[in-house]
Amino acid sequence: MVFRSTPARVAIAAAAVSLALVATGCASGKTDSADGSTQTLTIDKTFDLKTADPGRMYEPTGQLVDKALYETLLTFEGGDVSKVVDGVASLEQNDAATEFTLTLNGDHTFSDGTVMTADDVVFSLQRVIGLKGNPSFLLDGVTVTKKDDKTVVLTTATPTPALPAILANPALGILNSKVVKENGGTTDETDTAEQYLNTHSAGSGPYVLDSLDLASQVVLTTNDKYDGDKPAFGRVVIQNVEGATQKINVQGGSADIALDLSGTQAEGLGDSVAVTSDPSANVIFLLLNQNPSVSAITSNPDFVKAVKEAIDYDDLVSIAGTGTAQASGVIPSMLLGALPADEKLTQDLDAAKADLAKSGYAGESVTLNFPSDITLNGLDFPTIAQRIQSQLKEIGVNVELAPAPVATELDAYRNGTETIGLWYWGPDYPDPSDYLVFTPGNVVGLRAGWAEGANPAISTLADAAAAGGSTDERQSRFEELQTALNADGPFIPLLQPGNNIAAASKVDNVVYNAVWTLDIAKLGSK
Amino acid sequence: MSRSDTAVRSPRQRGGRAAHPFLRYALRRVITSLLLVVGVTLVTFILTNLVPGDPVAAALGQRAAEDPAIVAQFRAQYGLDQPLVVQYFTYLGNLLHGDLGVSTTTHNPVASDLAKALPATLEIAIGAIVLSVIIGVVLGTIAAHRRGKASDHVLRVVSLAGLSVPTFWLALVLYYVFYFQLHIAPGSGRLSSDYTTPPTVTGMYTVDALLVGQLDTFLDAMAHLFLPVLVLTLYTVGLLTRFVRTAVLEVLDQDYVRAARAKGLPGRTVIWSYVLRGASIPILTVVGLAFGSLLSGTVLVEAIFAWPGIGSYAYQAASHLDLPGVMGVGLLIGVMYLLVNLVVDLLYGVLDPRVRLAS
Repeated sequence: MVFRSTPARVAIAAAAVSLALVATGCASGKTDSADGSTQTLTIDKTFDLKTADPGRMYEPTGQLVDKALYETLLTFEGGDVSKVVDGVASLEQNDAATEFTLTLNGDHTFSDGTVMTADDVVFSLQRVIGLKGNPSFLLDGVTVTKKDDKTVVLTTATPTPALPAILANPALGILNSKVVKENGGTTDETDTAEQYLNTHSAGSGPYVLDSLDLASQVVLTTNDKYDGDKPAFGRVVIQNVEGATQKINVQGGSADIALDLSGTQAEGLGDSVAVTSDPSANVIFLLLNQNPSVSAITSNPDFVKAVKEAIDYDDLVSIAGTGTAQASGVIPSMLLGALPADEKLTQDLDAAKADLAKSGYAGESVTLNFPSDITLNGLDFPTIAQRIQSQLKEIGVNVELAPAPVATELDAYRNGTETIGLWYWGPDYPDPSDYLVFTPGNVVGLRAGWAEGANPAISTLADAAAAGGSTDERQSRFEELQTALNADGPFIPLLQPGNNIAAASKVDNVVYNAVWTLDIAKLGSK
Repeated sequence: MSRSDTAVRSPRQRGGRAAHPFLRYALRRVITSLLLVVGVTLVTFILTNLVPGDPVAAALGQRAAEDPAIVAQFRAQYGLDQPLVVQYFTYLGNLLHGDLGVSTTTHNPVASDLAKALPATLEIAIGAIVLSVIIGVVLGTIAAHRRGKASDHVLRVVSLAGLSVPTFWLALVLYYVFYFQLHIAPGSGRLSSDYTTPPTVTGMYTVDALLVGQLDTFLDAMAHLFLPVLVLTLYTVGLLTRFVRTAVLEVLDQDYVRAARAKGLPGRTVIWSYVLRGASIPILTVVGLAFGSLLSGTVLVEAIFAWPGIGSYAYQAASHLDLPGVMGVGLLIGVMYLLVNLVVDLLYGVLDPRVRLAS
């Protein structure tokens, strides 16, 4: 049959569509709503999501998602990340912090009804180690062994006082080993379970994975087998939205929570939206290279001192907006070992000018490198860099700004070739030992040209802090270390940018957590 | 001798067994396009690998990037431990099997990532180009017809404004006004959060929702198309209006149009049957270019409206130094451009026999 005229083809096509509609009936694509159990919660987040597989995940969006899907051996209560509490297990450790015995408490059940055993714990932790993925470093040097069906023992060759805090990370969530193995899971690099874990979850958390699109949205629904309190929201949609749009969405009502508002965006949102503002665990700092072959200027101790005294920290806090605090030291305020606020660096222009004169600086240009394309808690780096440039100009230091995309600037930063660098450090885990990297010969120290042995006094303090001890002992040792770093180190802690969470009036119990941002299951519905 | 005279002595009419002139013309265009595709692969490969920065450092976390074993495994997994020439030929070889490599960001095959992202972009790009062509042709023709009058000046200013306003800013303003203030448009994304995605057939939510008879989903998806399509239309319509005006003005001065008018044909007939037909080839050219630029230029609009299309994918891939992802998007956009140009070239041949014969 030949259709000669275009109108005839159009009519046939229209008829075909109509027939299809009639044949299928007018179905609805809308989910159930109105009653509490299926109430949808919409969260706007700027995605950095790569996977939902706990063994491979180590980005903030992944932490948020996996916290809802998987339970961990230990955990934190609310926003307090300075103290570890029981998760699915309770902990006993030896004084040397080399042996950690974890005993499963109660009967935790996976979403398919299987009861969690020590085998699941051993498999999950060994899988993280064996995959050699992003979170593998968390368990570097840790040996995992099963003692009995309810007990697992973790041992380390050297004292590892940070291990309990590490075990609270959602990357170490406990998987249903039977299901994961059936879908390609192993404890080495031959593992192929990621695809399965990106389409289904295999955990005992309050939610199960309904769907995951790494670019656009993640949908969670409640886990009927969850051992704890039933979440207030039966369906959660986490969608990938830029900060500027997030603000409009949460004000307009198409989103219930916005997670990435800057300090200025979080201001004046109106009565229908409540904002929870806390300093984030990210610390923005300057590094001044101590390697004379990189810069004779910045490796001069008097020059470093002058820069520390020249910066107007209050001004930086004010431009960063709501929730932002000055960082007292490299360890953020919510972690064990943080310096009290009254020990933070302060501006003293007269002292700065005197120290600059002592350094012999003669007006040469010094380069300030920074990533031009990243925003941290809504704060962009070029704004801070420009402000520092003008502040240092006041004492006569000529700063040349050298912005570059983060993907390219990272090389110079990691290779220790930046003269002055503006960067940030987000904790890998909420324990002060994560900040020993800022000492001579360690990762960030080397990025600042601070080689092993460059400052023996600080290295001695670092060794003492690393050794462990009681909570009080660790607190005072890390404080002492940071006081010395502020006085003689090449780092200038600047800001803890505010973490602002805007929530619609129907949501309550919004609590910021430095590790997983938000415990979705703990949110309340008004 | 005019070009059309050569048709009298075309091979087929001389009794030869050569193909129809249009087929030869089409074949030549297709072969040229295929060669250009290879060129596009080479250019995207070279450009991508010229970018400073280590993709391994960008893809792995701070800690993982410091572990030589993890870095070595990553390099081997993505073939980055091979010389560039080997990498290129491996890439070409894989391309022949439809394999664009695996994204270092999503860990998915790039082809499947793009297959998922492309329909989202096509949905807004097709909507925008259709609207732009309708509006641009009408406004451009009116402007030309009223050359020098007040309405012509107004239309020129408006089209210039459409071209000059940054799409990012325009998108934000329109979103604020239509969604937040007037409540006419829905929030960002392709669907409201209380709707589930329709089963994938084409990947275009409007079409897929219709195919399964989910009318409410169809209407919701259509509502979400409104603002992104409007922004892209405002951007493209300025270009088209200006171009159509120029093309129509040229044709209006032609003798055959004057003759048609002198014969007393109605103005509408002159415009539709003579003027626009005469101006169709330059208009077609610019429509092709505009469609291509829509595909590659949706990055900022997609960012504002949380639209998970190839623009968002390109941005994500570039910012993570995801080389397979960047090359995949570059190749896709290049191929789409070539396809659109091929279609335009073939339409030239249909609309104007002189074109196919001259070639």
